[in-house]
Amino acid sequence: MPIDLRGPLGLTLALLPVVLLTAWSLVVMLVVAWRHGSEADSRLAGWLSVAGILGAAGATLWLWLAGAESAGQPHMVYLDEYRFVSELLILFIAGATCLLSLRFLGKQRLLAPEYYVLVLFATIGMQLMVASADFILLFIGLEVMSISVYVLAGFDRFRRSSAEAALKYFLVGAFASAFLLYGIALVYGATGQTHFILIGQQLAGSDRSLLARMGLALLLVGFAFKTAAVPFHMWAPDVYDGAPTPVTGFMATGVKTAAFVALVRVLADAFPTFASLWQPIIAVLAVASMVVGNVVALAQGSLKRMLAYSSIAHAGYLLVGVWTATDMGRAAVLLYLIAYSITSLAAFGIITAVERVGSRTVMLEDVEGFFRVRPWGALSMGVCLLSLLGFPGTFGFIGKWYLMTAAIDRNQLLLAVVMGLGSLVSLGYYLPVVMAMTMKPERTPDAHRQVLFSRAAKAIIAVAVLVNLLFGVWPRKVVDLALSASQHMSAQTARRPAGDR
Amino acid sequence: MRAFLDSIGYAHWILSVLLLLPLAGVVLVLLAPKEWARWLTLVVAIAEFVLALGLWITFDPDNGGMQFTATLTWLPELGISYRIGLDGLSLFMVLLATAMMPLLVWGSWFAIDQKVRGYYALLLALKTGMIGVFVSLDLFLFYCFWELLLIPMYFLIGTWGSSNRLYAATKFVVYTFAGSILMLVAVITMVTIVARGTGETSFAYDHLVRHSDLLAPYAPWLFSAFALAFAVKVPIFPFHTWLPDAHVEAPTAGSVDLAVILLKMGTYGFLRFAIPFFPAFALSRGVAAVFVALAVIGIVYAALVSMVQPDLKKLIAYSSVSHLGFVMLGIWGGTVASVQGAIIVMIAHGISTGALFFLVGMLYERRHTRLLADYGGLARVAPKLATAFVITAFASIGLPGLNGFIGEFLVLLGSFGRFPVAVGIATSVVVFSAAYLLVAVQRVFFNPITKPENLELHDATPRELAVLVPLIAAMLWMGLYPQPILRRTEAAARRYVETVRPYLPAATTAASTEAR
Repeated sequence: MPIDLRGPLGLTLALLPVVLLTAWSLVVMLVVAWRHGSEADSRLAGWLSVAGILGAAGATLWLWLAGAESAGQPHMVYLDEYRFVSELLILFIAGATCLLSLRFLGKQRLLAPEYYVLVLFATIGMQLMVASADFILLFIGLEVMSISVYVLAGFDRFRRSSAEAALKYFLVGAFASAFLLYGIALVYGATGQTHFILIGQQLAGSDRSLLARMGLALLLVGFAFKTAAVPFHMWAPDVYDGAPTPVTGFMATGVKTAAFVALVRVLADAFPTFASLWQPIIAVLAVASMVVGNVVALAQGSLKRMLAYSSIAHAGYLLVGVWTATDMGRAAVLLYLIAYSITSLAAFGIITAVERVGSRTVMLEDVEGFFRVRPWGALSMGVCLLSLLGFPGTFGFIGKWYLMTAAIDRNQLLLAVVMGLGSLVSLGYYLPVVMAMTMKPERTPDAHRQVLFSRAAKAIIAVAVLVNLLFGVWPRKVVDLALSASQHMSAQTARRPAGDR
Repeated sequence: MRAFLDSIGYAHWILSVLLLLPLAGVVLVLLAPKEWARWLTLVVAIAEFVLALGLWITFDPDNGGMQFTATLTWLPELGISYRIGLDGLSLFMVLLATAMMPLLVWGSWFAIDQKVRGYYALLLALKTGMIGVFVSLDLFLFYCFWELLLIPMYFLIGTWGSSNRLYAATKFVVYTFAGSILMLVAVITMVTIVARGTGETSFAYDHLVRHSDLLAPYAPWLFSAFALAFAVKVPIFPFHTWLPDAHVEAPTAGSVDLAVILLKMGTYGFLRFAIPFFPAFALSRGVAAVFVALAVIGIVYAALVSMVQPDLKKLIAYSSVSHLGFVMLGIWGGTVASVQGAIIVMIAHGISTGALFFLVGMLYERRHTRLLADYGGLARVAPKLATAFVITAFASIGLPGLNGFIGEFLVLLGSFGRFPVAVGIATSVVVFSAAYLLVAVQRVFFNPITKPENLELHDATPRELAVLVPLIAAMLWMGLYPQPILRRTEAAARRYVETVRPYLPAATTAASTEAR
């Protein structure tokens, strides 16, 4: 189904999921302005948000199945499988975050239903980021997402750590946005374009001007901040630890997905001819993230902080896929994002349930003896940790294996070996959690009694764990999907004729 | 019998059934009431063993290739399939694993009284992993089983082990994972290199071995990655420290499984993968010297350490290191006799060390101590246990007429041509192994009774005899009439030797032919 993206109608159609969700989030906002007193109101807003997300997912699916593609000329938004898959992933993350928050907000007395509106806004921003083929749109998406997430991080306004997280995230995020914007400006100065593909065409013909190189460097810094890659990761542990737990899960998965997809796009479409310049930078970022993330995670007592550092390490693994600049590598990034997001969401969902009312965070000791009291919860957590570790039989292993294959395919043994050693180190902090849950006795006789999962949380965690195991054992469909998405993406780019806007 | 088995298509489904049956058992055990757990496990174990007996009957001893093969596509675009099969080498590993299973259940019958369902479920899951490792003919599948084994073993040691179990469980997992993670990188690299040379991406074992010449330029690195993974598992001398901890802390069934099967995975890996993939490098003079030296150091060192162990279980654990040294020596010996000897030592060590761990477990259940000093004079109060222990100890030492002798003899005979010095040292160490085991036997069973607690020990119960008698029968049978086993392993050993012979250093080829 070709869509003419020159007219407003065509653009609206191409952005239908975003448009729908935006309209719906305004409706939710109105409802919330009306009813915001009790826990029931909060739940209502949550369910309304889930409904809107489902609608947007339906629109995305429709575009995908209808074979939507652009009618030929350069355009502001992508219409390819890579976008549809990542957009669906983001919508899944958002929906799961809403469902996991339902009980949490009541438990922690955070009865402000605006929470869900902010989640919707952030989701809209992420959707724009993965769909944008133009720096202007990318930046708008990034800002919409970031500002909403800043507020979400500080949502627990009774806790100092939450406020600290928000402020830190805001300051560093603003810094990162400035870098990104400056990079965009320099690239524009060098090429006179903001569209990825047109930039790519401009840069292909010319020799590498200093302006374009500086622009690329600043863009990379901006993206490294957003993806929490070492050495631009300093904010992540405090922010992840301080933010309300479901928001931490949302940040670790959604923000990361949006930022990585945008990074892949920018590097593949705008800077393919600069690969020799950005590949070494990406490689250094990847190695540093894998080493620092994994090693520092060893020293953490708080589970949220541990997962924060491990998410830095996972950003390092993903950067290995970005480094390859091949179809396979981009497919591996997508595959790993799916695996990582599903796994992390479930893990954060379980931590959400374990977290005590008013406590600052969840420590390793807090899960001792968890298996005896809540066997299914502990089992699910165990599967998630094994998947993050990259153990065979789980989706995480498939993702990691595919990343390694993509790197080795480009003769990059070093990154693959560092990745392997990183996994080995990560055993040192995932295993103690498993051990605490299954082999140590409870601290107090009634520990974990108050750990209750809402029905919605149970459903999401169960789905995530089962999908994890299913794709761990039978990954064929999802591997094919990632590969065809990334092939579709490069085919669309290659097909595009040069033209004026 | 053979005609009947053929008529039901036995060869096509048997290995898959052996893999799936324990998994079905896991589900059953977890769902059924707690009291049924051990009975259900016993039924599954016996069914598994009876089914596996057909392998022994229908196995074609003249065929050195893979038998009972089955293939199912899994990830065809990436060259990954469910490919299984076995030859004379893996046949006995599978038979050992299945035959040991009912004994393990009997052995744990009363010893395990808490979290019963979890225990038996893990025992069954472990069995699937073990059989999977030995029948996988696809490297991706092999790696999956290899790693999956860790989980049940980790929980068995960590949950049902003795006092220092958490440390031992962690050490076990970390060592094994550390060894094998680089093997994953090596596997992917190998497949990528072969795919570039042949245009076919495939994790199939046959495909990779056939094109192993493409790997030769990268052999030093790839072989090292494989060798590290397997060396940790064997364990070869500097990587062995996890073994005594894991053995001592594990519950009896865990120790037995470790000794009987898990340790063999390392030597199996060398025979099946590491050497056939990179024969020129692995058998080159320098590398062979390193491995043979480490094997001999392992034999001597472990024997010496065993002599001073106050803890009976640790003593046996170290004796395993010593025995596995013989296997390594035989593998690098490179003659049919030495390789066959290595396989036989693997089988014999499984039976006799497994029995020793069972016996230590029985003593521990009675006295709740493993220290040699706490025993003494048990032969008077528990003659049956004492008899069993003495026979098993003799078997482990390698007394002619029992199972330990043939394998070690063949290894020494077959390797003498290439490594006369190493064989000389290893032979003399047999004396040490006699020393430490016989001293232990004497201190436990024959010295005067000094501890009053030991006066009231009861002798072996019928249940315990049901564990011990089959093992002792197997020792005698293997020692007196090893022909059926030799016949079934010969073709596989010959095939292996033919694969590697062109790569043996020229000067010694003549000598090794003489030794045959």
